[in-house]
Amino acid sequence: QAQKGPVEAPNVDLRSMAMEGKVKEIIELMEKGAIADGECFYVLFDKCGNPKLLQNAKKVHDFFLRSTFRGELRLINRVLEMFAKCGSMVDARRVFDHMPDRDIDSWHLMIRGYASNSLGDEGLQLFEKMKELGLQPNSETFQAVLYACAGAEAVEEGFIYLEKMRTEHGIEPQMEHYLAVLDVLGASGHLIEAREYVEKLPMQPNVAAWESLRDYARYHGDLDLEDHLNELIADLDPSKAVADKLPTPPPKKRMAVNLMEGRNRLPEFKNPSLYKDDEKYKAALKEQGYVPDTRYVLHDIDQEAKEQALLYHSERLAIAYGLISTPPRTPLRIIKNLRICGDCHNAIKIMSRIVGRELIVRDNKRFHHFKEGKCSCGDYW
Amino acid sequence: AFKEFTRMRFSDIHPNHITFITLLSGIAHYPSQGRLFAAPLHAYVCKMGLDRPNVKVGTALVDMYSKCGFVDSARLCFDDISEKNSVSWNTMIDGYMRNGKVDHALQLFDEMPVKDAISWTALIGGFVKKGLDEEALECFFEMQLSGVESDYVTIIAVLSACANLGALSLGLWINRFVMGKYFRDNIRLCNTLLEMYSRCGRVDFAREIFEKMPSRTLVSWNTMIGGFAMNGLVEEALILFDRMQREGFKPDGVSFTGALTACSHAGLVDQGLEYFDGMQNVHNLSPRIEHYGCLVDLYSRAGRLEDALSVIKNMPMKPNEVVLGSLLAACRNCGDINLAEVVMKFLVELDPSSDSNYVMLANMYAAVGSWEGAGKVRRNMRTRGIQKRPGISSIEIEGGIHEFMAGDKSHSQTDSIYEILELLSYELENYGYIREAAVPEL
Amino acid sequence: SFATPEDIAAERRKRKRQLRMQPPISPARHQQQPQQQRSPTTNSNPNAPKIPEHVFVLTGNRLNLHNKILKIIRENDLDEAALYTRHSVYSNCRPTIFTCNAVMAALLRASRYSDFLSLHRFITQAGIASNVITYNMLITLYCECRKPDTALEHYKRLIEDAPFEPSRATYRILVKGLVDNNRVEKGIEIKDEMLSRGFDADEVVYGYLMNGCAKNKDGDKVLELFEELREKLGGEVTNGIVYGPLMKAYFLKEMEKEAMEKFEEAVAENLKVKMDDVAYNLVLDAFCRFGKFEEALQLFEKMKNLHNPPWKLTVNLGSYNVMVDGYFLEGRFKEAVEVFMSMGEKNCNPDILSFNNLIELLCNNDLLPEAEELCGRMSEKGVSPDEVTYGLLMDACFKGNRPDDAAVYFKKMIDENLRPNLPVYNKLVEGLVQVGKIDEAKSFFDLMVTKLKFNFASYEFMFKALCDVGRVDDVLKIVGDILDEGSIDLNDDMQKIVKDGLRREAREEEELDRLIEQKENEKEEAKRREIEEAERAKASAKAAVANLLPSKLFGNKEGSNENAALSGNSDTVSSNEVQASGEVQAS
Repeated sequence: QAQKGPVEAPNVDLRSMAMEGKVKEIIELMEKGAIADGECFYVLFDKCGNPKLLQNAKKVHDFFLRSTFRGELRLINRVLEMFAKCGSMVDARRVFDHMPDRDIDSWHLMIRGYASNSLGDEGLQLFEKMKELGLQPNSETFQAVLYACAGAEAVEEGFIYLEKMRTEHGIEPQMEHYLAVLDVLGASGHLIEAREYVEKLPMQPNVAAWESLRDYARYHGDLDLEDHLNELIADLDPSKAVADKLPTPPPKKRMAVNLMEGRNRLPEFKNPSLYKDDEKYKAALKEQGYVPDTRYVLHDIDQEAKEQALLYHSERLAIAYGLISTPPRTPLRIIKNLRICGDCHNAIKIMSRIVGRELIVRDNKRFHHFKEGKCSCGDYW
Repeated sequence: AFKEFTRMRFSDIHPNHITFITLLSGIAHYPSQGRLFAAPLHAYVCKMGLDRPNVKVGTALVDMYSKCGFVDSARLCFDDISEKNSVSWNTMIDGYMRNGKVDHALQLFDEMPVKDAISWTALIGGFVKKGLDEEALECFFEMQLSGVESDYVTIIAVLSACANLGALSLGLWINRFVMGKYFRDNIRLCNTLLEMYSRCGRVDFAREIFEKMPSRTLVSWNTMIGGFAMNGLVEEALILFDRMQREGFKPDGVSFTGALTACSHAGLVDQGLEYFDGMQNVHNLSPRIEHYGCLVDLYSRAGRLEDALSVIKNMPMKPNEVVLGSLLAACRNCGDINLAEVVMKFLVELDPSSDSNYVMLANMYAAVGSWEGAGKVRRNMRTRGIQKRPGISSIEIEGGIHEFMAGDKSHSQTDSIYEILELLSYELENYGYIREAAVPEL
Repeated sequence: SFATPEDIAAERRKRKRQLRMQPPISPARHQQQPQQQRSPTTNSNPNAPKIPEHVFVLTGNRLNLHNKILKIIRENDLDEAALYTRHSVYSNCRPTIFTCNAVMAALLRASRYSDFLSLHRFITQAGIASNVITYNMLITLYCECRKPDTALEHYKRLIEDAPFEPSRATYRILVKGLVDNNRVEKGIEIKDEMLSRGFDADEVVYGYLMNGCAKNKDGDKVLELFEELREKLGGEVTNGIVYGPLMKAYFLKEMEKEAMEKFEEAVAENLKVKMDDVAYNLVLDAFCRFGKFEEALQLFEKMKNLHNPPWKLTVNLGSYNVMVDGYFLEGRFKEAVEVFMSMGEKNCNPDILSFNNLIELLCNNDLLPEAEELCGRMSEKGVSPDEVTYGLLMDACFKGNRPDDAAVYFKKMIDENLRPNLPVYNKLVEGLVQVGKIDEAKSFFDLMVTKLKFNFASYEFMFKALCDVGRVDDVLKIVGDILDEGSIDLNDDMQKIVKDGLRREAREEEELDRLIEQKENEKEEAKRREIEEAERAKASAKAAVANLLPSKLFGNKEGSNENAALSGNSDTVSSNEVQASGEVQAS
């Protein structure tokens, strides 16, 4: 607080620059000796919370460590949050472990950070450690813990912690805790269980609960459940009715409800006779047909094939890179300095069908427009 | 011109600087014939004391030397010019570029006090001619940054680079850039755009430009026909060929090359022959070797080796490696190794350094399982000291060009690339693809 | 020793949790940093289990893709949905397992099993790891296809390989599938395994098992299961699903009073027992099967009154199916059809299986005209007949001595692009031959021989039928076609039939041998001609080469403008370049 005047002035600039998100510029200024104040760091930590900005985040943190504010708990907690958002829990943990004192928020931030980085188990371990240290978890702690359970897809633990919350810590679960358990189930793909869970809640489930369930139904692709929940939601809150919704096509068979156990005679009447066009199709596409064997062993590339793979011709490499760098179904243009070889020509022809794209290859002789398994050169090449 | 000059000397009229400039540029235009006169003329200029003080004469000297291939002498002259103007600088840069001394050109360029559009263009054009397309583009970006307004010559050079690289997105950008400028209707520029789009595989864009062109030259038509033919739009190419004649353009040799290429692309043998006949009989054009090449190609692709051979036999000039190369490729497609061996013998004589023909022959042996034959070819290659040129494929992603060589593992996303290739090769087999015998990249 | 079952459960959970947490589940999970979305798979065994992606990854572009595909699914363009998913694998936006699951769920919903499996194979190969939902769907699929063993194998794979636990839903699906496929014993085993893996006793699983035992008329086992469940739940069973099977057990043991007591308990006003549509249906089923049809009718009315969607669902398709069965048991066929056709509300629409069931019942009761009428009315409910529908009708037509109509149904099936299998075709031809309609049989033979892959028996039957009426020439023609096509060998039995036929017509047996020989000759001839053709081409090329004298090649020909030729097609390029370079000088 001794420093006033000259140092304060650039700080104002830094702060407003920070607000505008000019992280890089600020780092440059700080490298030249500018000094940021606490408020500025606070904003900077917030702006650096992005996996793409991890390097900047580290730099900002370095400056922070050299600053006079390095002991401020409020700011250190922001650092934890920043590294968690950057996806680097290793950095967050290092900061956390070196904290002279932590408040309950620090623990929450760490547990949540682990959870959102798919490291829920570490989050749970940290919670155990917190209890070992004799810290008293509060209602919010359990929300974080349940969030970690969702991140770890740890269904059992979710219920255990919900139980312990009441029995060991005397905290009565609130709606947000129940919703958090719902998240655990939903994130783990236990949709039916989640639905039963909501129906059995000790309190009337609110719209938020149904909506959360509906979202999980959507994520997991359960059309019928989604439709049903949408009806419920619309009934509770007509403003949330989905307008201009497409009518859902009816299922062919309602196996779950029709009580026609074992009376499906389809195999008797339909298959597995071979149709000749099926055969042709299968010859062209050696895929499993109706009810194949369980264990198709996946294609493991053997040594010889691996050596072959080393010989992938350049056009295939370019195509592969093009594929993973562009949206589906957009055409790719490859330019090759030599003439395309017959094997690649044949392969790329089929590839164009498999990947559903137009592949245009210009070799030193001519253009080949590969599309839907055909080439513009008509194989006269 | 020299005769006149000699007469002038004899008649005791002292030549002035204009005379020399004319003479020097005369030599520069015909370097092969003028080479001998270069030094004596220079000496004469020196004697007259015109070289140093007169910048125009000096520049003309530089131009002459560089065009005659004496780039070091050119530099000496350049250094001797006491008051250089931008034209002298540009000429010198162009001289270096012309003679493949890229480093010198760049160095000189950096030393140059004021760079104008022509200096940049000299550099860019030089790069393009040397096949250094990426450098050309880089140079163009720098030029943009430096704020120098580019002229249409620059744009043409840059577009050629785009076409070579297949840098479509840059090409598109330049197209928009050009449309905003006054030289929108420049026919040459439009022609280059046509060229660029066809060579980037966007023949549809090329067609759009072609249709919108206020007036067209023979080159426009030829480019468009060639573009269609190259891209396998055979029908469009031939329709355009007819339309061109209806609109009063007389097709030249290049037009016929386009039409014939189109025919061979689609295997339209009879139609191709018709064009070939028409070329001689109706249009009175005597076919050049590339037309015979097309004809051989036409037969070869259709698997009619015999006819291809008789064309070679009956054509009035001796076949070159392009023609024989087509035949060799046809042998490959028909699996006729015996003929291939014979053709190869001639090819080796004609073009001993070409790697692709060796590789093709080796692959043919490999395809029929004759590893011995393949080995023989390879040994042959080795003893002749022929290295296989590496196959390079490139793709443009978000404006950046990514290049790959066979078995390349240097890309930052190599793992993902191989992962997707493994999946693809597995799926390919599901779709009935059978890998041919392992062959190195052509 | 523990005081209460809750203690046991708590202890078990604790152990399990420790197992899970120390050491942390699997190192693979730690690798999954958000920065590296695709972990390198080099040198890794593709069959090794992979950790499926977490629902958190469903953000940004991948979420957009998910929503886009969901929309396509709603538009019922499942081919496109599956194709787009595949194509997205080859792009900068890989589909998540959630998107793949959504497509597979839609395929399963539409009974498109082979498309489901094909997509599943593809995503597995592409390294998109399955999650519990994927496994659940696979198990559902195999159970629906009546391949319980395959379903069990997938369950085993889930237990052994998958980096996650099965869910309660997994067990429900598997146990229901086993029960439906008459594998109650195995179902009970799986139930025990479920308990041993730390799951609570699940009322639904027990309900399925009890119902299966009741179907097998094993009342004691039902009661045993119920007692076990009650004990595990601490004395109280609140899910109504067990009541129907329980009542059946009492009925089986002729303890009607107890059965009715249970019924009262289930529908008691205090709502202690949770009754949903499935639970009601099982009670309804109990009434129907044990001659309490009046009670069933009453309950059915009550269920319809209670039905109040979307909150309270008490009636579904199953209720109607049960009622149909009930009416049939009572011999009230017309009413069955009426009740069935009266359903129509959403969530309560007939499916193809229910229609087929009803048609089968009608046919079995010699009500073919009614069955045919029903078949005609299927489209009213938005359902179209499938192979089973027509197959049932065909069977009934033959039984009712109407072979021509059977043929019409078969024809219809072909016209509607349905795919009857070989047994159905055999039945048709045999039926037609039996009533002497050889011409018709032959015409169906001709129709199907191009489509179906016949076996020996199908050919033999046709040969015999034709020989019997002396149409040996037709037989010989077929033999010729078989030989030409070569998809099946002419075996000894077939040859014998033909020879017998020839003999009966007082023709030479050798005719067949001659035919075979002739066909072989033709084939050889064709092959020889092909080779000759190739040889000739080669020879003429050689001759041409010989003519192509080296002297001529390298002689002093005119026009050595080779540079021009070298540039060949690229004339225009060079001309432009020339222009460009010219400009440098000019300017």
